[in-house]
Order: sequence, then structure tokens, then C-alpha cells
Amino acid sequence: MFWSGEAELADELQRSALLGKLTRPVSGLMATTYRWVDERLGVTDLVHQLLYEAVPRRGAWAYSLGSATLILIVLQITTGIFLLWTYVPSTTEAWQSLNFIEYHDEFAAIVRGMHLWGAYVLFVVIGLHMVRTFVSGSYKKPRELNWIIGVVLFLLVLGLGITGAMLPWDQAAYWTAVVVTHVVSYLPIFGTQVQEILRGGPQMGPATLTRFFAIHIWLLPALLVPMIGLHLILLRRHGEHGSWVNYEGVEEETEAERAQRMAHAEAPYPALPSDPGYAVPMDLDEFFPSQVFKDAVVSFGLVLLIFVMAVVIGAPLERAANPAALNYVPTPEWFFLPLDQLLVQFPQAWMIPVGVFIIPGIGTTLLMLVPFLDRTPGREPWRRPEVMVPALFVVLFLVFEALLAVNRLFNL
Amino acid sequence: MSIAQKRISRRKFMILGINAAGAGTGLLIAAPIVGSILSPVFYKSKYPWVMVADIQHVPVGVPTAYVVMVDQGGDSWQVPKVPRTVYVVKLNLINQVQLIALSNVCTHMQCDVHWDINLNIFFCPCHGGEYSMNGTNIGGPPPQPLFRYQHKLVGNTLFIRDVLVGGS
Repeated sequence: MFWSGEAELADELQRSALLGKLTRPVSGLMATTYRWVDERLGVTDLVHQLLYEAVPRRGAWAYSLGSATLILIVLQITTGIFLLWTYVPSTTEAWQSLNFIEYHDEFAAIVRGMHLWGAYVLFVVIGLHMVRTFVSGSYKKPRELNWIIGVVLFLLVLGLGITGAMLPWDQAAYWTAVVVTHVVSYLPIFGTQVQEILRGGPQMGPATLTRFFAIHIWLLPALLVPMIGLHLILLRRHGEHGSWVNYEGVEEETEAERAQRMAHAEAPYPALPSDPGYAVPMDLDEFFPSQVFKDAVVSFGLVLLIFVMAVVIGAPLERAANPAALNYVPTPEWFFLPLDQLLVQFPQAWMIPVGVFIIPGIGTTLLMLVPFLDRTPGREPWRRPEVMVPALFVVLFLVFEALLAVNRLFNL
Repeated sequence: MSIAQKRISRRKFMILGINAAGAGTGLLIAAPIVGSILSPVFYKSKYPWVMVADIQHVPVGVPTAYVVMVDQGGDSWQVPKVPRTVYVVKLNLINQVQLIALSNVCTHMQCDVHWDINLNIFFCPCHGGEYSMNGTNIGGPPPQPLFRYQHKLVGNTLFIRDVLVGGS
């Protein structure tokens, strides 16, 4: 066992030595300066708090999906800020400014490419992070609310994706904005008014672009960042060990064995005194360097992929927006294909709101309520067929809808 | 009244004050923001008449597309005019020829429809909406007929305003 006797002590010493090296330069001017700063800022305490954390030994590579999501969001914020070096949020100049980037500023074109491919990879990684959390049963007590925060984060990122797609004000962006702002007009009672609010008038116009620009670069990020903070604070509060793989053998444990495991638990364990079986993981590792190493490797791989895609393929820019277009087919971004297919499958009068609001609304609500709908006892996926099978069907349904949409859009 | 009781009432007073000041601060900030968000709903746009074409050149029974430049109708600040497509249709009715100016904006999701010469329908490639020559929705998801532009004739010259009205 990890937490026993000499092994524990040795490990503790090793960890202290490692952290000491990290945070306390041994001699000279550096040491004096460091001590001066540390006395006032508490750097050592902070670094210890961030890095000195016991994490589960098993499932650690899968756990790197969460940190990869964080790194990719930071990448989006960074590349986004530097796109503002050139981009002008105006119907007459937005396309011109991006066209300039694409043909006269190779580095800015790479930044733009990384912003686009970063978004694509982010959607994939968030999806995998969600699947990992779902399959491993990590949303169970006491992590129910953190699952809901995760779903809200996912919705905010979807919002960022769709508003970002409108900003280039090329044909694709313009017609995406037309369809999205018209969808809301099918809301009951206030539909037309909401559309006017989003467009800044009954028609698409210069105020439409400034609105979605403000939503994309300030409103949604300002909601996203504190929610990420909350997600991480709760992660640390509950401990990074919600997965079933951290509790294999927990049910065969005798009372005495469990009592001993609990006795050796340290903060933030036990997460909840009322749930002793799942309060302390069976097998522990160090957050630094074991988990940070895996996180760093995965994030590097993803950013490398994004960089290569940005250089090799880049971000497309179609012709400038033409409101009088006669035969332009806007293809939604791939992550919105299932919703686009619902627009075709629910035609006419009252069925349109069913397709655009009710079905996606029910889907989102069910996703949020997963921790409360799942009343199964264990966390192993094979012991939870009541939730695993319906979830599998939902995923298959989304893939099927996306394939139908692709088939429709490419066979016109 | 003892000192402890006095303390509590002072404490209660301050908590009430915090709530009141907080609500007041929030209201002062929120009111103009909410107003600015809602303003497009109450703004009255002005739409000038725009010349389209001499209708003598429009054949009967063949929807003909014209692109006209309209300004933004005063919805927002002055920008260069934007183009709109107007389908001018001369419908051959029993006793007379009826003239309509159709918008090419699909009533489903506002994509752009075009007149398909082979199928004799207005077709929307986005989600497969179909309309007949007078704009009636005859297939696919559109919930209502194509909108029409307000129009007037001065002699043989057709004028439209960038205002859409319900179709047949």
C-alpha cells in the first residue's frame, strides 16, 4: 500500500526535497531576493498548494483531457487577443482585414489558423473529456454540481464557436449569422423582438456584427473564465479521483482495511465523511511531476497538431458577404450539423420550434440531470447499463444526424 | 435596551443598508444597459423607395431577378448600401397580368432561394424549401409563402421599399 510506514515516509521526504528545490534557491543573491519576495507574496505556499496534491495512479492519461481542455481554451484566448491586432468588427472592413491577413501577413494567417483549428480540436477534446467523465461514473456524489458546471462550460464553448463563425463576414459567416438570428424568431411570443435585439434591427446590418463581436470576445469569455475557476476549485475540493478505476476492490475491503485507509487519508480526503467507500482512492501518485508530465505531453501533442493544421490548411475565407446571393449554400460548422438536420426533419409551422428548441432543450436538460437520473449503485460502466445504453444511442443518433446532413449538403 | 440588543439593531441596519446600496448600484448600472439592449425593438426605421426596373422588359410567367442597392433603412449608422435580390414576377391571371415583387429570402431560416428554370419552382438549397411562382410554399420546411416587397409603379418603372409583407 502507498500510505504505510517507511515507504510513505521516504516518499514524503523525496517530495519535500523536490518541492524545496523547485521553490527555494539554495544560496547567493538569488536566495536573498527569493526570500524577500516570498515573505511578501507567499510564493512557496502557493506553489506547494498547486503542486502538492495526491492524485490517482490509475486512469492518469485519460485524466489529462481536462487539463488539455484548459490549455486549449488558454490558446483560444491568446490567439484571439492577437487576432484583434488586425481584425476590424465592421461589415465593410471585417472581410478586408482578414483578407489582408490571409494574403499579406503569413504569421497572422497562422495565428488565425490556430484559432480555428484550436476551436475544432477543443470541441473534440471537450467531447472526449465528457465521455471519459460519463463512462467512469465520475459525476456521482459528491461531484453532481461540477458535472452541471461542466455542461454549462460546454454550452458556453458552443456559443463561442457559433459567434466566432460569424465574425469574418464572408459568405459563410454572413449566412450563418442570418440563420442563427432567424432561429430565435421562432421563440414563442417575443421571437421577432429577440431577433431584432440580436440583429440590432429587423434586418442584418452593421449593428449585427458589432453585437456578435462583443458576445464572442467579451460576454461569453467573461462568463467562461470564472466558471472554469469554479470547475477547478470544485475539482480540488472533491479530489481528482471520481473514476471507477480508483476504487477497484473497494467492495471486497474489510471494515478494518477501510478504516486503515481512511486513517491515512489526508486533505482533501476524505471528500465526504458520509461516503467513506469512495472518499479515498485506492492507489495514489503525485500530481507533480507524474500527472503534470502526462498533461504536458498531451497538450504539446495537441498544440503541435493545431500548429501543423494551421500552417498546412489554415483557415478558409470565402468571398465577402453578399446579402443578395442567389444560390449560396451555407454549410454549418461540423459541430452544428445534427442541429441543422433537425431543421429539415421538423418542417412547417409548429414543428419548427420543436426541432430548434424543444428537442435540443430536452437533450440539454437530460445531459445536465445525468447525475440525478443515474440511480445505479456502482461506478463501473458495465454495472450501469441503464445509463450507458441510452447514452450510446444518443451519441449514435447525433452521428447519424450529422451524416444525414453531410449527405444532404454535399449532394445538392 | 441593553448594549447587545442595540448592537444587533445597528448590525441589522447596516446589513439592510448594504442590501439597499447594492440593489441601487446594480439598478443604476443595469437600467441603461437593458435599455440599450432593447432599443432596436422600439426604433422606427425609415425605408425609402428604390427604383428596380422598367417592367416592360419583364417576361410574363418567368420570375426575373433584379439586384437593387438599399441602405440599411436607418436601423443603424450610415454604411455603404447593401444589395438585395428582388424577383419581379408577372403572373398571367385570367383577365389581367398581376405584378408582384418577391423577396428571395426563404421563410424557414432566411437562406437565399432561386428560381429553378427546369423544375419551375423557387428552391432553397439550405434545407430543401420549395415555392411556386407566386411564392406559395409547396414543399420542404418553409412555414409560409415568400415575403413580398412593398412596391409601386410610376409609369412603367417599378419601385420597391425594403419592407417585407406577407405573401399569398
